[in-house]
Amino acid sequence: MLKVENLVTSYGMIEALKGVTLEVPQGKITALLGPNGAGKTTLMFTITGILKAKSGSIRFKGLELVGMPSAKIVQQGVVLVPENRLVFPKMNVLDNLRAGAYVHIGRDKAGVEADIKKMFERFPNLKERSKQLAGTFSGGEQQMLAIARALMARPQIFLMDEPSLGLAPLIVEEIFKIVKELNEDGITIFLVEQNAHKALKVAHQFYLLEQGQVTFKGIPGEMEEDEIIRRAYLGSSQGH
Amino acid sequence: MVDFIQNCIDGVMFGSSYALLAIGFTLIFGVMRRLNLSYGPSIMLGAFLGTYFYVQWDTGILTVAAVTIAGTILAGVYVERLCFRAIRQKATLASMVSSFVIWMQLEEFSIILLPERTYPFPALGSAYIFEIGPFFLRSEHLFMFLMASFLVIVFHFMLYRTRFGLMVRAISENPEAAKFIGIHINAVMFWAFVFVSAVGGVTGYLILSTDQQITPLFGLWATFKGLVAMMLGGMGSLPGAILGGLLLGVVEAQSLWYLGNDYKDLCAYFLLFLVLVLRPGGLLGKGLVEREDLAFRRV
Repeated sequence: MLKVENLVTSYGMIEALKGVTLEVPQGKITALLGPNGAGKTTLMFTITGILKAKSGSIRFKGLELVGMPSAKIVQQGVVLVPENRLVFPKMNVLDNLRAGAYVHIGRDKAGVEADIKKMFERFPNLKERSKQLAGTFSGGEQQMLAIARALMARPQIFLMDEPSLGLAPLIVEEIFKIVKELNEDGITIFLVEQNAHKALKVAHQFYLLEQGQVTFKGIPGEMEEDEIIRRAYLGSSQGH
Repeated sequence: MVDFIQNCIDGVMFGSSYALLAIGFTLIFGVMRRLNLSYGPSIMLGAFLGTYFYVQWDTGILTVAAVTIAGTILAGVYVERLCFRAIRQKATLASMVSSFVIWMQLEEFSIILLPERTYPFPALGSAYIFEIGPFFLRSEHLFMFLMASFLVIVFHFMLYRTRFGLMVRAISENPEAAKFIGIHINAVMFWAFVFVSAVGGVTGYLILSTDQQITPLFGLWATFKGLVAMMLGGMGSLPGAILGGLLLGVVEAQSLWYLGNDYKDLCAYFLLFLVLVLRPGGLLGKGLVEREDLAFRRV
């Protein structure tokens, strides 16, 4: 569904992505692992158009995303839940969700309201707090809200950047449960995670990104998990 | 006591127009993260264009109003393109400085258009003075107050009940997150400017038709009133802008009555000083610190 070829993105003179090639197949969960600073968030931002690629190609169902404005990329169904949640703090849950559905609200107001009802079924604790201001939520609740808000954009491919970051273990469990459920409902997921252990439990395939390049592609279970995790956290330069 | 209440009434009447000016500043500050120092002058330019039509061709009040509003919108778009759109998000100081420069430019252009020190501005109708018990109410002040209240309601409706307002609030609260939602940020900012300029044009028209004259000092005057009211009430807070405007109006009216014209402005600035010392964020505001933090979150 998503094909990235030789993608190069730089911050000024520093090349954060040095020619990344990977593929995210439809209907599956693909995990992107790697140490800090590897370029995972940079890759997510480049795919969604927040950052401009220097060269290379990103094809989504055949459509070239490089050079497309990010608002249009979201309209195509490529939606990112960014790191750090970034909810709208002074808006309540309803408004946050409606904001997420921005691309659809103009044309399909009734559909958006129906979507909100579905969100509340999937995330019952959001329903309880529907009129509360998002800034008063705990980290885990904000993450749920950020996911729900991104889902309102009706994604075909759902990009998640470190959804479990800084959250308590129980909440992390819930988040990964939701990731699995979303995939079972047919949404393709591209997941960046520091928590390699949990990510490997849900992913159908994974890539390892180190220093701006893909160094490994694999299927969980094929290789010793310890080896993968060690490289994911420390990078293969710390050889054994 | 009667005087005190009469002054409060007058103060609220005038304060409502200060509140509108403050709302204009606050909205742009919320969305753009910078002060638009050309707001007052762009209203003045619109009003000068309206005056030009009045003085040259003796057009009716509706035409003058339309020209004023259109002129303000044009000036506002000019400012937006040059000072806000053209300058990168992070260079807030650069865009505020350039909005100051455009302020000067708009003033100069206005003076070239109409070089005299003062010009008549058409009144809305004949003045009528209502007497309610011991209090007096001038019809043109009442009209200004009612229109201003109506415009505040329009602002509120726009912000909280329309899709466009939702986008404006989203960008104001968290510009980074707004990017991920797929909002056309530049387009929303542009139309926010147009909307604020339109309301500014109406505000200017209301104030000037009550005053019945216009001078080249109007731009500076409107900027002061709007900024002081905004700072009193709290930057970035819409209810704060309204409160600040009304408070400024009342304080001015009271000090004008009890202390005379010389002390009117002095009292207003002293009040501002007190508020900034005791509550730096303004009476209802959250202050700049929190917003800066949100705006420049690491990517």
